Amino acid sequence: MIGPAGLRRLGLLGMNRRNSRYTLAHNPRRLYPLVDNKLLTKEILQKHGLPSPELYFQIQNYYELRFLGPRIEHLNEFVLKPARGAEGRGIVVVADRNEKGWVKASGEILSRADIEYHVSNILAGLYSLGGTDDVAFAEYRIMCHTRLASLAYRGVPDIRVVLYQGVPVMCMLRLPTRESDGRANLHQGAVGAGIEMRRGVTLAGVHHNRFVDRHPDLGAPIAGMSIPFWDDILKTATQAYEAFGLGYMGVDFVIDQLLGPLILELNARPGLNIQLANRTGLIPRLEAVDRAGKTERSTWAKRLELSRVVAGR
Amino acid sequence: MNRTAYLIAALLFVTAGFLISNKVRTGGGDTAIEVSRNLWRVTVVMNIKGEGARAKVRMTLPKDSPRQTIYNEHFENDEMTFYIRERPVSGNRIGFWRSEFLDGSKTLEYTFSAQLRGRTFAVAPEIVPWQPAQFYPPEFKTWIESSKLIQSDNTLVRRQLKTIIGRERRADRIMQKIYDFVRGEVKYKSEKGSKSAAQTLEKLVADCGGQARLFAAFSRAAGIPSRIVGGLIIQGGVKRITHVWVENYIGGEWIPFDVVNGHYATLPDDYLEMYRGDYALVKHIGLQKFDSFFMIGTEHIPPVDNPWSLYALPVHFQSMVKIILLIPVGALVVAFVRSVIGIPTFGTFTPVLLAIAFREISLWLGLGCVGMIVFFGWIFRSLLDRLKILVIPRLAMVVTMVTMMVLGIMIVGFHAGIHNILYISLFPFVIMTWLIERFSVTEIEDGVPTAIRTLFGTTLIAVAAYYLMEEHQLRAYLFAFPEFLLVIMGLLLLIGRYTGLRLTELWRFREMNRLNNEERPKAEGPE
Repeated sequence: MIGPAGLRRLGLLGMNRRNSRYTLAHNPRRLYPLVDNKLLTKEILQKHGLPSPELYFQIQNYYELRFLGPRIEHLNEFVLKPARGAEGRGIVVVADRNEKGWVKASGEILSRADIEYHVSNILAGLYSLGGTDDVAFAEYRIMCHTRLASLAYRGVPDIRVVLYQGVPVMCMLRLPTRESDGRANLHQGAVGAGIEMRRGVTLAGVHHNRFVDRHPDLGAPIAGMSIPFWDDILKTATQAYEAFGLGYMGVDFVIDQLLGPLILELNARPGLNIQLANRTGLIPRLEAVDRAGKTERSTWAKRLELSRVVAGR
Repeated sequence: MNRTAYLIAALLFVTAGFLISNKVRTGGGDTAIEVSRNLWRVTVVMNIKGEGARAKVRMTLPKDSPRQTIYNEHFENDEMTFYIRERPVSGNRIGFWRSEFLDGSKTLEYTFSAQLRGRTFAVAPEIVPWQPAQFYPPEFKTWIESSKLIQSDNTLVRRQLKTIIGRERRADRIMQKIYDFVRGEVKYKSEKGSKSAAQTLEKLVADCGGQARLFAAFSRAAGIPSRIVGGLIIQGGVKRITHVWVENYIGGEWIPFDVVNGHYATLPDDYLEMYRGDYALVKHIGLQKFDSFFMIGTEHIPPVDNPWSLYALPVHFQSMVKIILLIPVGALVVAFVRSVIGIPTFGTFTPVLLAIAFREISLWLGLGCVGMIVFFGWIFRSLLDRLKILVIPRLAMVVTMVTMMVLGIMIVGFHAGIHNILYISLFPFVIMTWLIERFSVTEIEDGVPTAIRTLFGTTLIAVAAYYLMEEHQLRAYLFAFPEFLLVIMGLLLLIGRYTGLRLTELWRFREMNRLNNEERPKAEGPE
């Protein structure tokens, strides 16, 4: 174990402090639905001209289930999601279609009844935060960009940008593993790689709270990879602040083979493992943003500039 | 922002401290300081063991009188049925503890506070009536007539009385003569069973019971209503033996006499009266073992003449109030463990509800039941998952299954001889179903290790809350001073502003230690 003094020296942000100083203080409760509900998020992104995967259809009521068949009949690949799901729960990725049914990325075959069952589970709120009723929707399935494919085990890696008062303070690349079953969720076994914010190059990684240098399944080294479209990613993330208004949030990007960076979802309570991935604590950077004046944060361009300064800490 | 919270917390602590010390010092009324010398807190402890049949224990409970004030009564009945009855003739207040089927051990505790006052009487020089039976009202019958052990119409007793008082008809002189005789002639010897009046006169050796009976027999034979009074001589520590003395009705009042300790028409301020009449303090049937003793300590709270106090509530509801008072304590434990230590749980207050359920059945039995119900519930629910049942009906099916399991446990446990298990009917069904659901979903999404870890965290906190709630002292203290809830509120406020690292985070981020060791600490800090 490590002493609290040691962790404080590294500027490590703990859950209590994150909740009280940052999320409680800067995220008004009424704005949470904008990021918790993925459909609302998509709507807002579209309104502000920010890119996200195309929405195919949504199902809100049980009686709409009978129209599910015709809707997915002509689709070979799509992703089924609960609008209010948390931490990647309830997501089904359909990668192919054959005469038996739809084929998941894992190879498992789903019949129409299986998909209907899953959608009805979503509607009943099985995966939603708080167990309330939910809406199911289908969206475009991302094709992982070739540059990142070497580090992706059967899933799509995503990039999380954490912004404080609209200023990017830390970023992380999340790589799916066999253990995480293709999901980019650190709690489920994905690998997190810190990103040097100014140049968009990966640093070393973390897996299950331990430092690693290589991907556990693929063996490839984690550090030193250059993220494509990095400047676009940072710029889009910074612009998202004006669209949503949350003072402390995470923006998750995926990089599509054809379409480039797309915003997958936003998070009003970004986790703390990003600090392990970057081998440094958040507090010094957050405090640097606090010290900067309001004028340095007035436009997205200025905030981008500020993030370069902050990243030096 | 922090400062406001600290201020409010400080205000809560100070208010609670003020209210509590006020209660202790003045009791909300005006009581003189010397009164505090004679405040006592007495606990009657009865350890009983049943013989596998119906069991009953009855004990006379002390009452208010001009000499004593009884208050802040507190009963720990160990799940036996309990009720109080008043007897009109003797005026005694009797507590009954009953169990339809008792074959194990139980500990019953009755605690009360008493304020005692010494009192001295003047024996009126009135003339004793010729026909006491006609003179006094009918309710005095038992105090005038002869009884099996107080044989006031025994020939030897009457003859001896004639020798003692001769032709005297004045009550005060009669009393002095009887008193001098019994005190002077009968030797004191502690005995296992008290002699009757006649036996005492014959042998002239008796304990306090025998001497009192003889005194009463003489008094009744002389035409003065007389009764045995039993109680305790109060002194700090543990006592096993009660004491008896006599009260005679002269000049319109009952005047005490204790021949053993030499109190004539007076009682000092360490005599606690518990019953009247020639009974034993406690009677029981259906028990193979019975042991009782008194624990006496000083009391600091004066008698509160406060109809709004919790003690004014009926005894049956007091036990419910005690549970209610413990819920904030459980919540404090949960808040501390979640925010400061960082152990995850299923739901925020599930552990508190589980702890309350554990108090009804024993802890180990409760843990076993939780484990078993969650395990089988999880399997059942996974099977239902394959059938593709809709969520809400599936939840309802799990509730039904939990009910069936609980009924099964009750029947099997009862036949296996674990009678405590019947209290599982109070187990929170809904909580168990909800637990099963959360466990299953966590297992599916995050894997078995995470699900088990969270379940473990939940039960760990439930056990911690259970032990805290079991603390007798804490319960009694909270009941006496519900103002303590303000302190809990203040503590919760402080925990709510705790922004430091959680204990589990020190473990979770331990890898960062390597960074600290690798680079030498820089001269300037992160600032």
